[in-house]
Amino acid sequence: MVPLGGYLAVGAILFSIGVYGLLTKKNGIIVLLSIELMLNAVNVNLVAFSRFGIAANITGQIFSVFTITVAAAEAAIGLAILVAIFRNKATINASEIDIMKR
Amino acid sequence: MLANAWLIPLFPLISFVLLVAFGRQLKEGAAYVGILSLLASFVVAVGVFFERFAEGAHDYITSFDWLNIGDFVFTMGFEVNQLNAMMLIVVTLVSLMVHLYSKGYMHGDERFPVFYSYLSLFTFSMLMLVISPNLLQAYIFWELVGASSFLLIGFYFFKPSARAAAKKAFLTTRVGDLGIFIGISLLFWQTGTFEYAAIFEAAHSGVLSPEFITLTSILIFIGAVGKSGQFPLHIWLPDAMEGPTPVSALIHAATMVAAGVYLVARLFPLFEASATAMLTVAIIGGVTAIFAASIGLVQNDIKRVLAYSTVSQLGYMMMALGSAGYVAGVFHLFTHAFFKALLFLAAGSVIHSVGTQDIKEMGGVGKHMPITKIVFLIGALAIAGVPGLAGFFSKEEILIATYDSGNVVLFWLALTAAVMTAFYMFRLYFLTFSGTPRHENHHVHESPIFMTLPMIILAVLAIFSGYVVYAGFGEWLAHGVISGEEGEGHHTWIMVLSIAAAFGGIGLAYLLYGRNNKVSTAEPKGLHKLLFNKYYVDEFYGTTVIKPYTLFGYVLKFFDKYVIGGLVQFTAWIAVAIGRLGQRLQNGQVQAYSLVTILGLVILLLSMTAGRLW
Amino acid sequence: MMEHILSLITFSPLLGVLLLLFVPRDKAGSIKLIGVLVTLIPLVLAFTMFAGFDSAQEGFQFVEDASWINIPLAEGVTVQFNYTLGVDGLSMPLVVLATIVALMSAIAAVNMIQKRWKEYFILFFLMQVGLFGVFTAQNLFLFFIFFEISLVTMFFLIGVWGLDKREDAAFTFLLYNGLGSAIMLISFIALLVNAGLVEGPAGIIYTTDMQTLTYNLTNPASPLFQAGQYSDVFLYGVFFALLVAFGIKLPLFPFHSWILKVHYQAPPPMSMILSGVLLKIGAYGLMRMEVGFFPSIAMEFSTMLLVLGIVNLLYGGILAFVQEDLKMVVVYSSISHMGIILMGIGAMNRLGFQGAIFQMVSHGFLSAIFFFIVGVVYTRVHTVKFEELGGMAKVMPFTSGILLTAGMASLGLPGMSGFISEFLSFLGVFENHPILAAVASIGIVLTSAYLLRAILSVTYGPTKEILVGMPDARLTEVIPMVVLLGFIILIGVYPAILSDPLQTTLQSFLIRIGG
Repeated sequence: MVPLGGYLAVGAILFSIGVYGLLTKKNGIIVLLSIELMLNAVNVNLVAFSRFGIAANITGQIFSVFTITVAAAEAAIGLAILVAIFRNKATINASEIDIMKR
Repeated sequence: MLANAWLIPLFPLISFVLLVAFGRQLKEGAAYVGILSLLASFVVAVGVFFERFAEGAHDYITSFDWLNIGDFVFTMGFEVNQLNAMMLIVVTLVSLMVHLYSKGYMHGDERFPVFYSYLSLFTFSMLMLVISPNLLQAYIFWELVGASSFLLIGFYFFKPSARAAAKKAFLTTRVGDLGIFIGISLLFWQTGTFEYAAIFEAAHSGVLSPEFITLTSILIFIGAVGKSGQFPLHIWLPDAMEGPTPVSALIHAATMVAAGVYLVARLFPLFEASATAMLTVAIIGGVTAIFAASIGLVQNDIKRVLAYSTVSQLGYMMMALGSAGYVAGVFHLFTHAFFKALLFLAAGSVIHSVGTQDIKEMGGVGKHMPITKIVFLIGALAIAGVPGLAGFFSKEEILIATYDSGNVVLFWLALTAAVMTAFYMFRLYFLTFSGTPRHENHHVHESPIFMTLPMIILAVLAIFSGYVVYAGFGEWLAHGVISGEEGEGHHTWIMVLSIAAAFGGIGLAYLLYGRNNKVSTAEPKGLHKLLFNKYYVDEFYGTTVIKPYTLFGYVLKFFDKYVIGGLVQFTAWIAVAIGRLGQRLQNGQVQAYSLVTILGLVILLLSMTAGRLW
Repeated sequence: MMEHILSLITFSPLLGVLLLLFVPRDKAGSIKLIGVLVTLIPLVLAFTMFAGFDSAQEGFQFVEDASWINIPLAEGVTVQFNYTLGVDGLSMPLVVLATIVALMSAIAAVNMIQKRWKEYFILFFLMQVGLFGVFTAQNLFLFFIFFEISLVTMFFLIGVWGLDKREDAAFTFLLYNGLGSAIMLISFIALLVNAGLVEGPAGIIYTTDMQTLTYNLTNPASPLFQAGQYSDVFLYGVFFALLVAFGIKLPLFPFHSWILKVHYQAPPPMSMILSGVLLKIGAYGLMRMEVGFFPSIAMEFSTMLLVLGIVNLLYGGILAFVQEDLKMVVVYSSISHMGIILMGIGAMNRLGFQGAIFQMVSHGFLSAIFFFIVGVVYTRVHTVKFEELGGMAKVMPFTSGILLTAGMASLGLPGMSGFISEFLSFLGVFENHPILAAVASIGIVLTSAYLLRAILSVTYGPTKEILVGMPDARLTEVIPMVVLLGFIILIGVYPAILSDPLQTTLQSFLIRIGG
């Protein structure tokens, strides 16, 4: 039996990798993938707590299903935006997308 | 009658208001408004004078609250005493003469009604000043006479010289007025009042310290110095001759400039309480008398000679007052008003006819203007102090007063000034009226009746006004003002000396100018040059006051623009700089933003955890 | 009507806004007529108020008090802003002054505003609401709102109708005064939190009611005062913050540079309002809040106020002497004359206060007439530079005469209002600080010097070509000159008309400073 700490450690590692990718990667798709990683880290935690939490119940697992759905929707929208940007600017390099400056 | 003395200034005020409102419609008829109102004032003034002069009469004083501020009450009102009963006569009479004279002199001027309205304003203010029962009211009208004098000096406003003279007159007297202002303010806080009587009482009952009395009297005297053209604030008076000549006669010879002397006389009990103040008055007076007389010796402008003569004579009066010769000073003020007004009006008559003020270009005018010539001669004899005429009586009293005060230097100064006075007056007379003409004007003619009549009246007064001494005028004036018996020493030798001075000066003038009637065209040299340039006092003020002040102004302008303005710019720059700095953070990189967010979150979490652990 | 007269005065200009909404923008004549006639209403009302003012009655009169904003903070704790209006001897003359100057400004605008009259007069009416409201408001919150109304409308009035560099000037105006109001707002909040507390049957109420604040801060009987819970940081902090806030408005010496630019660019009718009324808000604030709320600190720093006043007086006076055009001289003379107000306040006695208030009113009239005449000259020859002008008395004798008379009044010639204010202020200072007063009185000579230099170089001397053939003042120009000069002379000859209603109020100020 893997203890709670193990799951949390995996979640934390996944989350950190996600954050790292989010902040450093230039490619927009990789950035989106990093966000997915972070969301999945959260899912791991949710599921872990639904099993080992103080008042263990099914809510955590249901919640993670929600998250996966939302993540899918988000990925879709994100990719759509990227496609739109690529059409306009011929790039998906994050450092070149700085129109918020103005 | 005394209770109706307030009518005296009322008439000129009415005339002023009427002329301001309807002057344009009245045109030269304005003169009648002025003359009639002054005539009314004069009649009342004569009535008041004789009632006050009568046996057993008392001072009349009344006032009403003008401004109440808490417990402080500022009053306005009027009073009649010996001094101002006399002054009322002088002011209304001379003013009436000038009003008459101006009808002829100003004829044809397009601003004729304006001129008369200014004259009325002046007369009103001067009369109010004279009948003031307190220092505040006196100060108020003191300023107003200054303003009307300013307006009249600048009457020919389109001439740059008139503009400069008006400005100079106002500013110079204003410097003096500062003295009065500070003086009466200090007195107010020490005595709680502006009333003359209360101040005198405080001065004599020992409420005020001797040093304080000295300080305030000298401060007030500074005001008198400014107004009466005493050294070192005399510079405006000769320039004031830019105004029309009747104005010079009224304001800058007979009445307003005498206001300084009047003020010192009115405050005589205060001055008397401080020996230092008295000495200051005497010395300034004496210095002015000789200083101005010496300048007058060499000037070529007929009005300027008379102006310096006025300054000198006013110095005489101050010297008399400072030497405790109250009656002598006031008496000279009385006689001087008539003969100096006369001299100015006569000079105006000449200028009106010849068209120049330069005596070098006159000569032989007497032939065509007999009346003017005679009245001018009378005036000159009177001011020179020839026995039998008004000036003789008052001048002799002044000499006696200075001698009695024990100040020998002052006495000899006075005597020298007397010689000089006689000399320059007759230099003027000879160069103007006798000899052969040095001008090309063939239309020299006697002036019209409106101008000659006032001159004749004044000439009569210049002869006879001195005889009032035999009517007990001196004792009457002194009554109640001078505590002790005035040193009425009979110094026959002084009388002889003063007669000798008069004839000496006249004789010298005859020798130099009367016989050959030539004017030297050579450039003045040495002492002559120094005198001709009025001891360079104007230039001295120019370099020591006006230039540094202007320079300082420009320095401050620079300071205002670059230092204060720079500070403002700097503050604005700081704001902009902070903005620039902040702008760097907003680079449009979402990743950079989220880095900050996450860092913030981490710090927040860490600190919260740390807080828990504590 | 009398119980609502202050609201009527304050909001009657809104009637003009309403009327103007129905007038097409190209009907200049009717717009101007409405502009002048509606401005007449507050004036008439103000005179009614003046006549109905009881000078013997203590405290505020014509008080209107209505519940307005209540913010519950917690159970039994409320922040309350009431709609409270009222006038005492200090504010009543200023309301009258404001209405008079506003009417004159409206008349001046008839000739001097050349475009977009409808917008101009709408903004002008809104600004009047602010002007009158500032002096009648008895609640700091309300005061602040009125203050801001006048500020914002003035910004547009300068920015749209000014001279060439109007935008720049408008922004300068907004920045400086905005900074001032920011400081003011912070001070007001500090006052609300620290001194605005009232315990009543309905629980604890925090308020910015001026009278409550005054009571709490100065009356030894108030519970807060007895508790001695005001920290020095609060007291001195707010005192100096307000000094800066109102100092900017006044303007006080190092904060004066906005007035130079703004006055120069503002249209003449707005200069009249700015200098005639808006600057007085600074002086009014100093008197009402600095002296009113912090009498003991004001007393402590009276010498400082005095010195600041003298610096203003001399600094403005010297700089006015070296200016090259009439308008700048008038602007610097404003700075100089504001110094006299500060000096009067710094004197901390009855005569000084009286002089300061006289100076507020007197300078209101004087600066209005000056800026008006500057406008009259400018509309004719499009310059007010000394080197290009001269000899105006020949072609425009009436205007020149008025200018000269106003100059005389401004330099303190007796018989006109300038003398009374100057004399009383100085006399007040002489009581405790004779040396400083003597130094300051040099300012009297400086004033004469720069005014005569300026006025004589415009009016006297040979007539310059540019002026030849210029018509003298028209009827619409004669009216403001005569009316303003009339008031100047009225106050100068019969000062009791202004001083009598003031005495009771002054007494209450003096009691607070312990005099």
